[in-house]
Amino acid sequence: MANRLSVFSGTVLIAVLVQTGVGQTQTISYADAATLLAKECGADVKKFCKGLNLGNGRIQNCLAQHQAKVSPACTSTMVGVTASIQQRLAAQASVDKICARDAARACRGVVPGKAHILGCLLKATRIVGAKCSQAITDAGWR
Amino acid sequence: MSIRRFRNSLALTVLLAAAGDAGAQQLSEHQLVNTLGQVAEAASAVDVAMLAQELAANPGKGIASLPHWSRLATLPQFFVEINFENNSVAIEPGSYRTLGLIADALHHPLLLRYKFLVVGHTNATGDAKHNLDLSARRAEAIAEALGTTFSVAPNRLFSIGVGSEMPVDPANPKAADNRRVQLLNIGLVK
Repeated sequence: MANRLSVFSGTVLIAVLVQTGVGQTQTISYADAATLLAKECGADVKKFCKGLNLGNGRIQNCLAQHQAKVSPACTSTMVGVTASIQQRLAAQASVDKICARDAARACRGVVPGKAHILGCLLKATRIVGAKCSQAITDAGWR
Repeated sequence: MSIRRFRNSLALTVLLAAAGDAGAQQLSEHQLVNTLGQVAEAASAVDVAMLAQELAANPGKGIASLPHWSRLATLPQFFVEINFENNSVAIEPGSYRTLGLIADALHHPLLLRYKFLVVGHTNATGDAKHNLDLSARRAEAIAEALGTTFSVAPNRLFSIGVGSEMPVDPANPKAADNRRVQLLNIGLVK
């Protein structure tokens, strides 16, 4: 997935992350990411990418191809949004591991299954540590 | 949280339009998750190939009462409005957020084990064959966007277009309300 989305280079990425205030610990939902993209890139999409569907990187590739003409706000939004979505996906993938010890302590006897364990962890605020708590927040599962 | 509320596409459209701030967005994503997660214990998986077969065998007769299609009414589902460029599979930027909300719901632990069917509907304006074809390509475009840009596992996504064969308002097949996208939980991923 990373290679599909990372149209832009890493050096630009860091500059833009600072600029747009998308910090390392902040992840955003797909809904908010999509809203930002529509807001900052909607006009460019309609101008340069007519008839193209969002899927399979077509819009990202199209905007990258027209980068010279695409608005700077769109370019930076695309980079920031892509990075924070990657972080959220990474957080979602890592919750099980990061929270394993807390789950073993707090959720003994809970019916197995990701959703049940999550429900237990969300309630066990006294036992769940900061790292697990942050991972759940970053995953967007609060 | 009743599923029935979401049978009315207008309800969710209004909800999504009002979802400007983080609180409201949170609420509607939770509602999507809860709506789609209400799986009956006895529910058996839907066979998408059979749906396509029934659709192809009954052109122009409506499909809501056919054996496989009639079962869909019992599944967890909702309707949304997703706008496309004219005669195209290009989703309007104004509808990106709706796709994002769906993606957030499908990434939630409660729904991770399930697969989903995107059904595209049109109203009865224009050529029926063209409507059927366009609705299929648009439903496929939505599934494709969810499966790539929004990182939902592609083996959890299916799509089918039914043109105007299943109007929400059978008395007014040309009404704009009939143009809608239906998302259904069709059972556990094998």
